[in-house]
Amino acid sequence: MRTGTRWLKPANIFRLFGFGLFIYLFLGFMVLPNWNTLTQIFNTTVKTVDPATGLETVRRDPWAVIRFFFAGNMGKYVLNSLKLGVFLVVTVNIVGISIVLLTEYFDIRGARILRLGYMTTLIYSGVALVTGYLFLYDNNGILTTALVNAYPGMDKNWFSGFNAVMFTMTFACTSNHMLFLRNAIRSIDYNTVEAARNLGARPMKVLWKVVFPTLIPTLFSLTVMTFITGLCAMSAPTLLGYDSINPEIVRLAGSSIADEAFPQARAALLSIILALFTIILLTVLSAYERRGHYLSVSKTKARLVKQKIHNPVANALAHVYAYALFIIYMTPVVMIIIFSFQTYSAIRMKTLDLGNWTLLNYFGQADYSYLTSRGTYRVREGAVSGVFSNADTLGGIRTSFILSAIAAAAACVIVVVAVNYIFKRKKTGALVEYALLFPWLLPTILICYSYRTYFNSSDVWYVGNTNLYYMHNVRLLIIIAYTVTKLPFSLRMIKAAYYAIDDELEDAARNLGAGGLTTMLRVKLPIILPSVLAVFALNFNALFTEYDMSATFASSYGTTYAMVMQSMTREEGLYGFNVNASGRRAASTVFIMLLSGLVLYLVYGVGARDLGERLALRGKRRARRAKWAARLLPRKKAAGGSR
Amino acid sequence: MIRLENITVRFDRFTALDDISVQVNEGEFFTFLGPSGCGKTTTLRVIAGFIQPAAGRVMVRGRDITGVPIEERNIGIVFQSYALFPTMTVRDNIAFGLKIKKLPAAQIRDRVADIASKVDLSSDQLGKAVSQLSGGQQQRVAIARALVTEPAIICMDEPLSNLDAKLRVQLRNELKHMQQKFGITTIYVTHDQEEALTLSDRIAVFNKGVIEQVGTPNEVYNHSKTQFVCNFIGDINRLAEETCALMQLDPAKAHYIRLERVPVNPQPDARMALLRGTIKSREYYGMYIKYTVQTPQQAVRSIVRNDGISIYEPGQEVSLGLNPLNVMSYPLDEEESP
Repeated sequence: MRTGTRWLKPANIFRLFGFGLFIYLFLGFMVLPNWNTLTQIFNTTVKTVDPATGLETVRRDPWAVIRFFFAGNMGKYVLNSLKLGVFLVVTVNIVGISIVLLTEYFDIRGARILRLGYMTTLIYSGVALVTGYLFLYDNNGILTTALVNAYPGMDKNWFSGFNAVMFTMTFACTSNHMLFLRNAIRSIDYNTVEAARNLGARPMKVLWKVVFPTLIPTLFSLTVMTFITGLCAMSAPTLLGYDSINPEIVRLAGSSIADEAFPQARAALLSIILALFTIILLTVLSAYERRGHYLSVSKTKARLVKQKIHNPVANALAHVYAYALFIIYMTPVVMIIIFSFQTYSAIRMKTLDLGNWTLLNYFGQADYSYLTSRGTYRVREGAVSGVFSNADTLGGIRTSFILSAIAAAAACVIVVVAVNYIFKRKKTGALVEYALLFPWLLPTILICYSYRTYFNSSDVWYVGNTNLYYMHNVRLLIIIAYTVTKLPFSLRMIKAAYYAIDDELEDAARNLGAGGLTTMLRVKLPIILPSVLAVFALNFNALFTEYDMSATFASSYGTTYAMVMQSMTREEGLYGFNVNASGRRAASTVFIMLLSGLVLYLVYGVGARDLGERLALRGKRRARRAKWAARLLPRKKAAGGSR
Repeated sequence: MIRLENITVRFDRFTALDDISVQVNEGEFFTFLGPSGCGKTTTLRVIAGFIQPAAGRVMVRGRDITGVPIEERNIGIVFQSYALFPTMTVRDNIAFGLKIKKLPAAQIRDRVADIASKVDLSSDQLGKAVSQLSGGQQQRVAIARALVTEPAIICMDEPLSNLDAKLRVQLRNELKHMQQKFGITTIYVTHDQEEALTLSDRIAVFNKGVIEQVGTPNEVYNHSKTQFVCNFIGDINRLAEETCALMQLDPAKAHYIRLERVPVNPQPDARMALLRGTIKSREYYGMYIKYTVQTPQQAVRSIVRNDGISIYEPGQEVSLGLNPLNVMSYPLDEEESP
């Protein structure tokens, strides 16, 4: 009896409810939809006609898709994706390592400005970046047009297919290098560099023998992640025209059996192939991580001092290389900003009209008159409109903002609660951890494709027999997909932050009478809050401009920013509509950059300050106010006195 | 006041505490002393309630608190890292326990101000973040936070180990002063014998999960009960067989003599055995000088007051005086027994 009442304690009921909810979410939104996709492959039906009787029979053929794979050209997509992954590993690492060394290790003039330029991909990524590159380098892009005018022999279609995807993704995928490799290089103990120099090693030898070995674990992780990014690339191949796996999956998912042979099963097979590659790579990565890392054993770490390049030729070359990369990174950003203030005619003519600036791409509307084939002028009312005046663009931004914010917050909340549990209960905690890492084994596209097919039915009992891929419900489906795909990353980051909490803090809180929940909310959460906010910001920024999931869930009820951007690329000026689509796209990209930059600043700049720094700043503000008051007060007094 | 009765703690197959019993009296400054991994912090955590013993009882003022939850034990703790909450100001850190007890705001304010003045924290410092304070100030915050809830006992887990040598000595004195001022029963954990000897009313010396000796600093230093205690506390010479034979000591026992009981070139004394040798090395400590003298029997170390006159050079011939009355003798360990 006593045991029974003990079990009914609120904490136990809460725990039981939490566990039940977790199992429901794991089975319902991670396992079952993906399992359904897997089985689709083996549920293929084929029609056969008996030549003698002419009778048509339908039978299940589990291996039909596999045979189709080997017989048809499906393998091309896999090979293309592999090729992209392999090439990207080389180019991204070359550029990524260079920019980190140039800004953090070598003494390069203007390193702070260079760093800002290299970091623009943090606020300018995804579909915005790809469309930005298209705006510049497309066959009628601004830079291509300028180059063709200067060199008439140049191929104006140079920016398409594999080369364009490689070029774009090489610079788009260095964000992780700037985040993680930069941290790794900054945490190097400078005493080890000094020791090597003291023992007679030359600077390059030090770099190769002392610095690089400590970076290898980070570089290995980045290499694997880059390869997976290449393999699962979506927005660049779709918009720049390259036949890789993901765009093909989305195409097949939207295709019907009347158009081609078992498209859904083919999409499922391609998804599974992607999943297999991902699983193999992540297994290799985790096995490598388990081998342990090079850790500094120093108790008094010295801060890295930038290394001067003493050879004048090498120093000059390093500077030229650094600024050439800076130009590549900054050109799209600067051009996008400039052209967002240009008129539609200037953009159409691909010329910079310095005497004619406009805010029309941001605010307001204007009519557009054009000459018809009958030789008469026709006016299309409101055909020129700004981001904040165009219902479609604004709607896309609003949808993406809300869905991304909810999903980014939900992923953080789920992970914070789970990590607290993982650290308390070692055995069951490990199960929770694996469950949260599960989506990492599956490519995003597989999860989204699975959701789209599995929940596009009114027969799924555990969601109340509601079709989640129907009308407004699709937004909920997008939120769930966004949340699920962000769980593994959030877990890794927040768990790392949890390790920083000293066990004695929890003991101290409990010793002072705090229960588990109070300790969590008042002691542990404030400590990890900067990391949680950082994860929220990174999740939010990534989801805001993501393309893969939006494309898979494409629906008029869930038109996200990425889809609006894509439609702006395709429908510019058709029949006198969307006349300034390019300008509006540029303006919306500027807006997104500002928003993402603001989020990153608030999180990394303001949110990362510890209490001491916040109090010191508050003290400075108070002193400044007191100084102003002291300056003003004598004047008032003097004025009062003279009266 | 506190009585530990036959406490045993096991972590899987490892026995961290093996049937230990000890009593701490009201108002006493009691120290758990021992090397790393000997079980002293485990004992402290058993008292605080962080570890549940496999066997035995924890009694406080006659009440069995073995099964009482941590938050209801009324035992204050000063942690090794101080465990100050980094996201709270000094004031909020000190007030944390009072807020948990839902005391009225005015009472919390008064009690925080009162304890802060007692531990010499200014009102300006109360508004600071803990990261803006020095190590010594942080220690005072940790003590104030532990004391403000008026606990029956305060436990300190190596609170000086993170500080530099000079500050450690300064704060050691302050700690003793504060303990006397508050008159609170204090259990102090340290591996530093000097700290234990200077601070404590009584000391329990731990080794491999058992208590080897409980006594006053004088008892554990001058009348060490076991070979481990006499080796662990202070510096000591173990006398070789030849030396023991010269001094006519029982060969079936292990014999030790402390360094300060070995005078160099002593006044003639009939009770003393004299060993002649040459100075092998000299360590200069300012107030004291430590010599290692190589005699035909063994190398013997001696520490003598630095009077500025009788300072011997390495290679110089000297004589050492060994008085059998100063020798501490113990039965041989199992592996040493013939």
